[in-house]
Amino acid sequence: MSHVNYVVFTIVLILFLVVTLTGFTAARWRRAEDRLHLNEWGLGGRGFGTFIGWFLIGGDLYTAYTFVAVPSAVFLAGAVAGFFAVSYTIIVFPIALIFMPRLWSISRVHNYVTPADFVRGRYGSRGLSLATALTGILALMPYIALQLVGIQAVLTVMGVGTTSNNTFVKDLPLIIAFLVLAIFTAVSGLRAPTLIAFIKDTLIYVMIIVAIFYIPTRLGGWGNIFAAGKTHMTAISPTTHKPNGVFIPTAGNSQLAFATLALGSACALFCYPHAITATLATKRRDVIKRNMSLLPIYSIMLGFIALLGYMALADKTTAANVKGPGKGNAQLAVPYLFQHMFPSWFTGIAFAAIVIGALVPAAIMSIAAANLFTRNIFKEFFKPDASPRLQTRMSQWVSLVIKLGALLFAVELPKTFSINFQLLGGIWILQTFPALVFGLFTRWFHRWALLAGWAGGMIFGTIAAYKTSTPTTSHWASSTDFEFGHTVYIGVSAIILNIAISVVLTLIFKAVHVPAGADETLPHQYTADPEETPAPVPAGVSSL
Amino acid sequence: MTQPAIKPKHPIAAHPWTSAVITILVVADIWFALYVPLYARATPKVGDFPFFYFYLMIYMPVTGIVMWIVYLLQKRLRPTGDHQGPAAVSEVTS
Repeated sequence: MSHVNYVVFTIVLILFLVVTLTGFTAARWRRAEDRLHLNEWGLGGRGFGTFIGWFLIGGDLYTAYTFVAVPSAVFLAGAVAGFFAVSYTIIVFPIALIFMPRLWSISRVHNYVTPADFVRGRYGSRGLSLATALTGILALMPYIALQLVGIQAVLTVMGVGTTSNNTFVKDLPLIIAFLVLAIFTAVSGLRAPTLIAFIKDTLIYVMIIVAIFYIPTRLGGWGNIFAAGKTHMTAISPTTHKPNGVFIPTAGNSQLAFATLALGSACALFCYPHAITATLATKRRDVIKRNMSLLPIYSIMLGFIALLGYMALADKTTAANVKGPGKGNAQLAVPYLFQHMFPSWFTGIAFAAIVIGALVPAAIMSIAAANLFTRNIFKEFFKPDASPRLQTRMSQWVSLVIKLGALLFAVELPKTFSINFQLLGGIWILQTFPALVFGLFTRWFHRWALLAGWAGGMIFGTIAAYKTSTPTTSHWASSTDFEFGHTVYIGVSAIILNIAISVVLTLIFKAVHVPAGADETLPHQYTADPEETPAPVPAGVSSL
Repeated sequence: MTQPAIKPKHPIAAHPWTSAVITILVVADIWFALYVPLYARATPKVGDFPFFYFYLMIYMPVTGIVMWIVYLLQKRLRPTGDHQGPAAVSEVTS
């Protein structure tokens, strides 16, 4: 280990130990009679109120990758590529308010644990349910890996990790941190990230409040920070011969890209299984509605976090560090900024906040993916009579396997691979939107039409993302591309194609009377608000 | 479960004004964030913030407040009494 600042290292280590302890004790928190039911392990007993729900959902949605990637995108390219995230986290709440309470109600009544459970029950279609489950797992894997990339960025700047060429030795600290996470998640289930979310959110708020009041005083005020951002964005890049980025999207094309990125990402967010897991863990329907009003507090924080990218540009040392020879990794912008601006002890707290910030969503994502596998693949196709106990055991093991997979992803493959894959994940998960969200309101769509639409959207989105290029990168260069002369988020064009296929095929299938499948839900159940948790014994899906 | 014999009045029909206000608030909240030409300007600067950045930053607390109003309005749509059975009807179109 070279150049390790031991004050920083010690503080991060102590806070990590506190989190580890919390993770293991969480198993005893609000303990249920039957700990080995999937509602307990996978959804924390479905009993969280507004207060805990706020910490849980907030800690789940705002990932470490957000704290690292959003400012790094702002650092590199400004408003359209980075600051759209602010617009996105504004509109995500009104959009989620439209359909999440209905998803909560129907899942509560029928004891659904995953989005694919709902699709199965609504359309009576195993194929559509499998498509939803696979898309969820596929989209979550790189997302978990990116949490690790976030941790790696902090560890790199801390100087932790040896200079050995052996990847295993080099990434040993990351591997240890992740194994600890994997074990306490398997033991405590959703209760672990929920308790840790309290620590995470507190640290993140302290970090960001100090950062927005203190750093501008060191950099000559906000005026200077925005000026540095503007100078960099309007400067002509020597490699592409185009401006580095967009400071304010005044051109029509950049505005459309900005808006479609925001809209597409907002629609995708609550289709992600981990977002649904956190929502289903709440106690009452009102808890979700109240939280759609309280969660924007996190978005205010996100706005300031995004602006850290301009701060990193305004601080010459940080900008030089990030762009330095042999580095060129914008992911390091925020860690370098903190290291240069803050005294060691506070850098330690800020770094710990990012590391712990990565652990919470990573844990919830692996739980969500494990639930999908257990409920919608293992139980559905291999062992229909799986007892609740067996399902829980299965989920515990699968969560371990998924995390190890993500670890391999992050350690063995180049970082750009995880980032591209995550970009694809957003496009993919958006393709489950019609079956899931339209299904909450209407049964008009035909199950096979939705399946065909999903396939069309997946294929189109993947190919379109593959074909994007810049003068410096040949493939997977961007999440927007040209459609009919406009720059549009690929996810949005893919879902338009998806919906078009679904509508046309539904009309055809209905005309030729293809069986529509059984619907086990009833209209009033979509607004039900049962006080009692669903009975643990009849595990929803099997009942038909 | 059986359907209730007499269908209670749909809450949207029972409270047309409240329902309209809810719809307008939710749609407006989305629209004013999505319609970029409205705020993609450098001026007027608010403090040191270019208007574009100020607008998006101030929008978030506004969204929080709008969502809370929607939540309170939706409570008014709910039929009084706390029956949770089949008679509890929808708040949004089913």
